[in-house]
Amino acid sequence: MWEFLIPLFAATVQSGTPLIYATLGEIMTERGGVLNLGVEGIMSISALVAFWISFTTGSPWLGFLGAGLAGMVFASLHAFVCISCLGNQVVSGLALTIFGVGLTHYLGVPYVGLHAPGFTPFDFPLLSQIPVLGDVFFKHDMLVYLSFVVPFLFWFFFKRTSLGLHVVATGEMPAAAAAAGLRPIALRYFAVVSGGFLIGLGGAYLSLAYTHLWTNGLSGGRGWIAVALVIFAFWRPGRAVAGAYLFGGVMAFQLRLQAMGTHLPSSLLLMLPYILTILVLILSACFGRRIEAPAALGTNIEPEG
Amino acid sequence: MSELMFVRPVSVRSLPEGTQPVVSLKGVTKRFGKVLANESITMDVYPGRIKALLGENGAGKSTMMSMLAGRYCPDEGHIEVDGKPVRFTSSKDAIAAGIGMVYQHFMLVDCMTVAENVLLGQEGTFFINPREMKKRVGELAEAYGLDIDPAARISDLSMGERQLVEILKLLYRESRILIFDEPTAVLTPEETNKLFEALWRMTEQGKSIIFISHKLEEVIALADEIAILRRGRLEGELDPSAITSKSELASRMVGKEVILEVNRKTVEISEPVLEIRHLTGLGLTDINFRVRKGEIVAVVGVAGNGQKALVEAVTGLCKPPANTVFIMQQPWRKFFAESTWNRSMCYIPEDRLGLATLRNQNMVDNLLLTTRKGFSNGPWLNKKRAEKDTLKLIKKFDIRPGKIHALAWQLSGGNLQKAVLARELYREPRFIVAEQPTQGLDVSATEEVWNRLLDARDISGILLVTGDLNEALQLADYIAVMYRGRILGMLPTSEEATSGKIGPLMAGVTD
Repeated sequence: MWEFLIPLFAATVQSGTPLIYATLGEIMTERGGVLNLGVEGIMSISALVAFWISFTTGSPWLGFLGAGLAGMVFASLHAFVCISCLGNQVVSGLALTIFGVGLTHYLGVPYVGLHAPGFTPFDFPLLSQIPVLGDVFFKHDMLVYLSFVVPFLFWFFFKRTSLGLHVVATGEMPAAAAAAGLRPIALRYFAVVSGGFLIGLGGAYLSLAYTHLWTNGLSGGRGWIAVALVIFAFWRPGRAVAGAYLFGGVMAFQLRLQAMGTHLPSSLLLMLPYILTILVLILSACFGRRIEAPAALGTNIEPEG
Repeated sequence: MSELMFVRPVSVRSLPEGTQPVVSLKGVTKRFGKVLANESITMDVYPGRIKALLGENGAGKSTMMSMLAGRYCPDEGHIEVDGKPVRFTSSKDAIAAGIGMVYQHFMLVDCMTVAENVLLGQEGTFFINPREMKKRVGELAEAYGLDIDPAARISDLSMGERQLVEILKLLYRESRILIFDEPTAVLTPEETNKLFEALWRMTEQGKSIIFISHKLEEVIALADEIAILRRGRLEGELDPSAITSKSELASRMVGKEVILEVNRKTVEISEPVLEIRHLTGLGLTDINFRVRKGEIVAVVGVAGNGQKALVEAVTGLCKPPANTVFIMQQPWRKFFAESTWNRSMCYIPEDRLGLATLRNQNMVDNLLLTTRKGFSNGPWLNKKRAEKDTLKLIKKFDIRPGKIHALAWQLSGGNLQKAVLARELYREPRFIVAEQPTQGLDVSATEEVWNRLLDARDISGILLVTGDLNEALQLADYIAVMYRGRILGMLPTSEEATSGKIGPLMAGVTD
C-alpha cells in the first residue's frame, strides 16, 4: 500500500506546486479588487520565458526570475486596460489568456522537444529523514520548498503589514481607501502586478521543474483551475494550499491510473480535475458559509466628477 | 412632533472678538464642465463652533465640502487654514491640515475591524500589530466617551455605531475641523441624539464642526450659525436664535415659500387593495391590517424592525406563508401569477439607484422597465412612442436635466425619485407600496412627492413605509407602528393624541 501511496503523495506535492503559486497570485490580484482571468495565458507565456532564459543562459534561477518578470509585464497589461482605461475585467482577462496561449504556441515552435537546465530534486537536509513525511514533502526541488514558505509570507503580508491592509481595503471599498488618504489606483496596480509575478513563478515551475523539456500546451488548463481554486479557498492562503494539493492529487492520481493501464479511456481521466472544479464550486456555493469575496471585486474605480 | 430630543446645553455661544477663523473659503468657484457648482463662495469657520450648511439637493453643499476635504481643487479662489493659503491635491493633504469628513455613505471597509478602519492609512509602520491597534483605538474611544468595541467587525455594527467609527477616524487623525454630510439620514432618533451630544462634546474640546443637513429642526437645534447655500451661491449666514419659524428658514433655503405641511383633502375610501391576515414568518409575528383604495397606511418604526420583510412579502420579493397576504382581494400567489403592467400594484423602493432603476440606462429604458407592455407591438418595443411619453413625463414632473438620454446615475436623488414616481404613476396603479419615498430629498422635492402620493389616492390605496414621522403624520390615514416584527398599534392620524403615542410604541412600550 505505502509503495503506491507515498509516490502518489509525492507526485501530488509536485503537481500541486504550480497551482499554489498561481492561486496565491490570483488571490493577491482579487484581494485588490481586480479579477484576472488571464492566469492561463500568463502561466503559459512565463513558462516559455523561463524555458528560453534557462536554455540560453543555462541558469534556471535566472529563468525563474525572468518568468516572474514576464508575469508582471503581462499582468500590467491587464492592469492598464482595467485600472487606467476602465476596461471590462472579464473581457480583458479572457483576451489575455487567448493572447498568451497563442503567443506561446507561436514562439515556442523552435523549442519543442528541447531540454533546458532546470531544478532537480534533492533530499532536504534532516527533514527528508522523517518517515513518510520526508518522502512526501522533502525529496523535491528548490521551487517546491519555496512554495512551502510563500503562503506564510502571504498570510503575514495580509495580516501583519499595513500594505496588506491597504490592498484589502482597496478590494473591498476603494472609496474608503481613497478617503483614508490611500491611493487605490496605485494599490490595485500593485496587487495585479505582484499577483502576476506569483502567477509567472507558477508558470516557471512547469517548464523548469515539472518537466525540463518544452512541449506545447504545457500549462494545460492549470490557470483555470487556479481561478476556481481562489473561490474554493475563500480568498485565504491556507485553504488555497489545501485546494492546490487536492487538485494536484487528482492530477497525479489520474496520471498513475493511466500508467497502470486501466481500461478507462484517458480522456475521461483527464476530465477529472475539471469535474472536481465544478463539484467544488457547487459544493462551496451550497454548503460554504457566506462566500466572502472582496466586495469591489470586478468593479472598476470610476473617476469622480 | 417631538422626534428630536436634543437641547443645546448652552443656547447661545458668543464668539469672542478677534477670534481667528480656523478655516476660510475665499471666493471659491468650482465648475464641472459647463455646470457652475459653486460660485465665489466666501465663508469662515471658527474653532469650537458648529456651523450648519443648509441647502437643497444640488445646491453645491457636497462640492463645497469636497473641496475642503481635498477631493476637488477649486477652479478659482482659495482655501485658508489658520490664515495661510493652502492647496489640497488629495484628501491626504486635507487630513494633514486637520480637515476630516464623514461622508453620507460611510467610507468603511465592512470586512475589517473597527480598529483597522480607524487606523487605515495611519498605521505609521509597515509591520502592524493587531493587539496594539485595538488598544490604541480603544483608548481613543474612551477619551471621547464613545462606546464602541475596537475588535468588532464593521458588518456587525448598526448605522449609529458605524458613524462613531467614522468620527473616531477623524479624531485619530487629530482633525480640528470635522465635516458631516447628512449624518442623521440613517440614524434612529436615539442615535441622532447621541450623535448630537458627541458633536457638542467635541466642540467643547475646541473642534469645529460643519454639519450639512436638509432637516430644518436639526439645524435649528444644533447649530451656532447657519449658512444657506442656494444654486451654488452662499445665500447668507444666520444666527439660529434670530430664526422665528421653520418655514422662514425653508423659504430662504429654496428661495420660495415652502409649506412643510400639505393639504389633505378627504378622498372616498372604498374596497381593500391589500389585506394581511395573521402573517407570521419571515421575522414577522401575527401581522393583521388592510389598506383600502383612497387611503394611506403608514408603517413606521426604527429601521430593522421587520419593515423590510413586510415590504418584500407584499411586493413579491419573497414568499409569505399561504393565505396571509391578499392583494386586490386575491391570494398572493394568484395575484402575482396574473399580474398585469397597469391598473395593478406598483412599488417605489427605497434603493432608487439599485432596485428602482438601472444606473447606466437612460430615462426611456428605465421607463420601459416596468411599463414595457404598454409600448409593445407584438414582440417588438415601440421605442418612438416610449420616447414621446418619457418626454411628456419629464415635463409633467419637472425632472431635470430634461433630457431623455440622461442616464439614471446622472440624475440627482430628487430628480431620480421623481422619475421613478412618474414611471410608476404612469401605470395608473390601484395599489402603491412606497418605501422611504422622500429620504434624502430636499424640501421642495419632498413636497412634490407628498402631493403626488396624496393625489394618487384617487385611484389607489397606498402602503407607505417611512422613517420620517412627520411624513407619516402628514400623509397617512392610519399609522402602524412596528416593533420587533409586530405591529404594536394602528393609530388613526385624525386623533390628536396619535403623534404622542408613536414614540413609546417605536421603543416597544405598549402601556
